[in-house]
Amino acid sequence: MSYLLQRLAHSLVLLWAVVTILFLMFRLMPGNPMAAYISEALNDEQQQLIMAQFGLDRPLHEQYLLYVWNLAQGNLGTSFFRREPVWSIILSALPNTLILTMTGLVLAYAFGILAGAWLATKRGTLAEGILVPMALATRAAPEFWLGMILLTVFAFSLGWLPAGGANSAGMFFDSELHRIFSRDFLLHLILPAVTLALYLQGLPLLLMRSTMLEVLHDEFVTMARIKGLSEWRITLHHAARNALLPVVTAFALGLGATLGGNVVVETVFSWPGLGRLLVTAVSQSDYPLAQGAFFVIAVVLIVLNLVVDVLYGLLDPRVSHGRS
Amino acid sequence: MTEPPLLDIRDLHLSMTSFDGEAHVLAGVNLSVRRNEVWGVVGETGCGKSLTGLSISRLVPSPPARYLGGEILFDGRDLLSLDEAGMRNLRGHRIGMIFQDPTTNLNPAFRIGEQLVDVALAADRRNPDILGVAARAGWRTRRRAARDVAVRTLAEVGITDAAERIDAYPHEFSGGMRQRVLIAMALIGRPDLLIADEPTTALDVSVQSQILALLAGMVRDHAMGVILITHNLGVVAKACSHVAVMYAGVIVESGPVAALLRKPSHPYTRALMASIPTSGVRRGELKGLPGQVPNLIKPPRGCRFAPRCAQAAEACRAGPPQPVDLGGGHMAACLKPGPAAEAA
Repeated sequence: MSYLLQRLAHSLVLLWAVVTILFLMFRLMPGNPMAAYISEALNDEQQQLIMAQFGLDRPLHEQYLLYVWNLAQGNLGTSFFRREPVWSIILSALPNTLILTMTGLVLAYAFGILAGAWLATKRGTLAEGILVPMALATRAAPEFWLGMILLTVFAFSLGWLPAGGANSAGMFFDSELHRIFSRDFLLHLILPAVTLALYLQGLPLLLMRSTMLEVLHDEFVTMARIKGLSEWRITLHHAARNALLPVVTAFALGLGATLGGNVVVETVFSWPGLGRLLVTAVSQSDYPLAQGAFFVIAVVLIVLNLVVDVLYGLLDPRVSHGRS
Repeated sequence: MTEPPLLDIRDLHLSMTSFDGEAHVLAGVNLSVRRNEVWGVVGETGCGKSLTGLSISRLVPSPPARYLGGEILFDGRDLLSLDEAGMRNLRGHRIGMIFQDPTTNLNPAFRIGEQLVDVALAADRRNPDILGVAARAGWRTRRRAARDVAVRTLAEVGITDAAERIDAYPHEFSGGMRQRVLIAMALIGRPDLLIADEPTTALDVSVQSQILALLAGMVRDHAMGVILITHNLGVVAKACSHVAVMYAGVIVESGPVAALLRKPSHPYTRALMASIPTSGVRRGELKGLPGQVPNLIKPPRGCRFAPRCAQAAEACRAGPPQPVDLGGGHMAACLKPGPAAEAA
């Protein structure tokens, strides 16, 4: 319990650092952030008035305190470009990104872990000779290329799946939950999620295979054999549990890379997610929106890392979290 | 009429492929073990004593290992002709094994209890007496029964507060305790044959004798046959009823402990015993055995000990010597057995 509180405190400090860096980064960027917002036709006095409305006339440290204070209250500001609260814009994109990322990652890791564990028991066979290079090839192929191939085959040639977006045009739903669990949304999810999974599966597969090869030579595996356990139970229970730790680490790191770097898949499939939002915001100099998107990605990452840390203790009891 | 032996290894030959060629690592091993017998198998590192033990549970990876001939009869069935599923039916439940290092042999990710329950459940599938629950009992009932058996077995091997400690992880136990857990793990399926490969080597001396006493008690209570692999003649003298001395893949001398230690008849056994330091030995006077273990890729044609033997004659180099019965089950594979002229 005290471990959890300690980790929580770490996370808060980390979040504060991220917020500070974000704040300073956008203040250090060249150009007037108001250029996109304030018409040239306004006179100086009117410009000053708007600057004052946004608090931009105050000294930097006051702006900073105001920013942190607003954040703490969940206020991310207003988008320059869309004139909408940043929070509601992000909220409409965040579920799409989270679902896409988690589906892709879970597919990739479920497949990678099982296939890797299985391949470790098939050392030197034909199956290994075929599957390992195949896993490597899909890992090495660029995401957008994989995405385009899948699009060509399944959307354009066969016409089985929709080509882009998260929902068909003109669809309306009672609530966000209805939307996410609708058949329409899930059909749209398949291609981008599979692309992401294909791109991500190589790492867990090869990592699992190599750690399994190591663990399968450990004496407790021989011991499990002597106990008269079935080969299946030895592989999936006794060995896999020990081989899983590095894979969990990779999963945590993969989360970060994927959430932030989902831009490519989201662009290929016109997926209305955080990655695309971020790219648009930066290209339009929509600073509050970009700042907000960065902030939300950071929060999600920090929370997920916290979860993985706790998961470690469950997988490896030797990470005792300081309980005596 | 005596009952047939529990385990009968007959003329077992095993070769191992390595980068340098094929090594003939077991060259005609003969060993038979009855219930209530504790056989010490002694010899120096690499003589094939562990391989003999692993061969009985068929855990020598093959390749590189290849069985060239002989048989391992367990209750009259040849283990070398059994398939993997048939072997799995015996492991844990008819044949138990204990290894040297209790740290690496326990799975660090599971509680002691889970690792014991594992064996109990697997063994119960072959012998429903182990849990003593109805064959149709549900999964939950079986698990609870397996846990009870695990607690009882832990208590039996001398772990106090077994009911609480069963939920500890291996790293929370001391070395001696872990070795007790390994013994409990080997005993929980009530095996008829127990193979203990250097079970006390990793432990300090006082714990060593506790573990040996524990093993001796277990043999008595369960009427098991035991093979105790060790390089320590002191352990043999303390814990075994019989002893087999191995050298370069051959059992050179075997028999009841008392007879063999009183009248060592193979020159290698004598050399082995002479190399044990006694209280009379002064600094710098430790006796070793000159020469080197033969290269098993090109073993000597005759007696494998001949190149190091002070009494070797021409006949010794001609062909492998056959075991000679010296009476009372005491055998020596030597052309000139007996406490003959103590050569310098």
